[in-house]
Amino acid sequence: MTTSPVLANGGTVACDGTVLARGIEKSFGSKKVLKNINLEIASGEICCIIGPSGSGKSTLLRCMNGLETVDTGVLKMNGEDFGYYETEHAYHAVSRKKLAEQRTRIGMVFQQFNLFPNMTAHQNITAGPVLVKRSDKESAGRRAHELLADVGLSGFGDYYPAQLSGGQQQRVAIARALAMEPQIMLFDEPTSALDPEKVGEVLAVMQGLAKKGMTMVVVTHEMGFAREVADSLIFMDDGCVVERGDARQVLAHPQEARTKSFLQKVL
Amino acid sequence: MQSLVSEGKETTMSHTDGILKPRLRRRSALEYAAWCVCILVAAGILFSVSTNPNFKWDVVAQYFTQESILRGLVLTITLTVVSMALGTLLGLGLAIMRSSRIKPIAATAGVYITFFRGTPVLVQLIFWFNIAALYPNLTVGIPFTNIQQAVDVNALMAPITAAIIGLTLNEAAYMAEIIRGGFSSVGKGQIEAADSLGMGSFTKMRKIIIPQAMPSIIPATGNQVIGMFKETSLVSVLGVAELLQSAQLIYARNYQTIPLLIVASLWYLVMTLVLSYPQSLLEKKYNRSAATIPRKARKLTAPEGISR
Repeated sequence: MTTSPVLANGGTVACDGTVLARGIEKSFGSKKVLKNINLEIASGEICCIIGPSGSGKSTLLRCMNGLETVDTGVLKMNGEDFGYYETEHAYHAVSRKKLAEQRTRIGMVFQQFNLFPNMTAHQNITAGPVLVKRSDKESAGRRAHELLADVGLSGFGDYYPAQLSGGQQQRVAIARALAMEPQIMLFDEPTSALDPEKVGEVLAVMQGLAKKGMTMVVVTHEMGFAREVADSLIFMDDGCVVERGDARQVLAHPQEARTKSFLQKVL
Repeated sequence: MQSLVSEGKETTMSHTDGILKPRLRRRSALEYAAWCVCILVAAGILFSVSTNPNFKWDVVAQYFTQESILRGLVLTITLTVVSMALGTLLGLGLAIMRSSRIKPIAATAGVYITFFRGTPVLVQLIFWFNIAALYPNLTVGIPFTNIQQAVDVNALMAPITAAIIGLTLNEAAYMAEIIRGGFSSVGKGQIEAADSLGMGSFTKMRKIIIPQAMPSIIPATGNQVIGMFKETSLVSVLGVAELLQSAQLIYARNYQTIPLLIVASLWYLVMTLVLSYPQSLLEKKYNRSAATIPRKARKLTAPEGISR
């Protein structure tokens, strides 16, 4: 089916936690929101994407989970063409079942948490493993217990999202994504909807996750997090990757004028 | 009075403390006038209704619990329940089809809904009753085999079958729109969250969308039940002996038209009122504030695991 050497060995190993984008373009109507995006994220790398609103950073992240589709370009998640399979002349959309399977290996955390309000925290976390992976309720339940403890919420399993604070909801959302045992975690402005007081608790959970060697792509406005935790930093503006490099280096000595003026305003 | 106000004291007119006095609503002259008019009109109507001998309240009382009327009432209730249940099921299917990403499926449901909502239900009922004129013989069979059974459509389309088919198909179109409205009330983020977990569309519908759409679907469905109860009176044109037809059969014999129509109306009114009560409970239960936390949620207490 494919000429890609990456996929050829990707079939044997479960997945490898890498992201590769080459020449990605995406338009909404006549508005081009992603222009020739090239990036490579290694396994276990923490990559922060920063930039002004409307710069396409969220769209790029959503493309990585199939919530948006790219128009042209190569997008490989976990070393495998994502959402499409390659033939001689074209990329063909994969079946919904295959796409769902690919998605189970990528975790997503949303700005608005998007917990299922009709389920308890515990049910939210077990929803993925039980309903999608068909694992048995008992082991999924045990795992949910561990995950809740990991995010500092043990004992909150029976609470409904509406009974939890924003910070707690976001931590449950992280646990929910982790329950699927993904190789890559995507964070779409995970702390933007929280009060300043609660931001720290979510960032602490993310920091802990980073230490465990999870590949993480984080769209964020938290420069402090980027400086402390991130390996690489991508600055986007107007649909383009303007600057990309070591996180601390870029934040301290931005090369591009646009990056400089942005960082001056937010730091 | 004026001098007291200017002195800054509340008043010496009464001996109660100002903070204990109730605050009264302002009543305008219009309010008093409206009360007077209402009472006068109500009294007039009541007087006229009770004294006009043509109402024949004794006849009303005599037929109110008559066996054929009660049998008609039972049939009306049965028709309501059956066509509501079937209509809701079919409506759910149509709503799912309507929100399908596959164009021909969505369009099929769209055409169905447009057609059945765009024509009067009375016309539809008569149409189904006379469907034999279009297709006199129906053959049920398995294609490409010899196994088939011819069915006489005229015999099949008994009045009651036509009534149930007509009401069900019509109701399905309305229920489809109600259910679809409920679906679209579920946030986009919920669907994205389910997608990002890799949920299939069936699981997503069953576990995420339908449970969250219920609060907006159920009260509207309650309204439809009440509406359907009255709509069943239309099937009297097919000769189905439901409540209205039962009354008509009686006054065709004894010419007590008005009293028997009053009997039927009273029964419709009673049943509507009886149904309105659970409907108002449902509406209260599924209002916005109650919908955020499911009823089975346990009370907020410090979780036992927090100190661990």
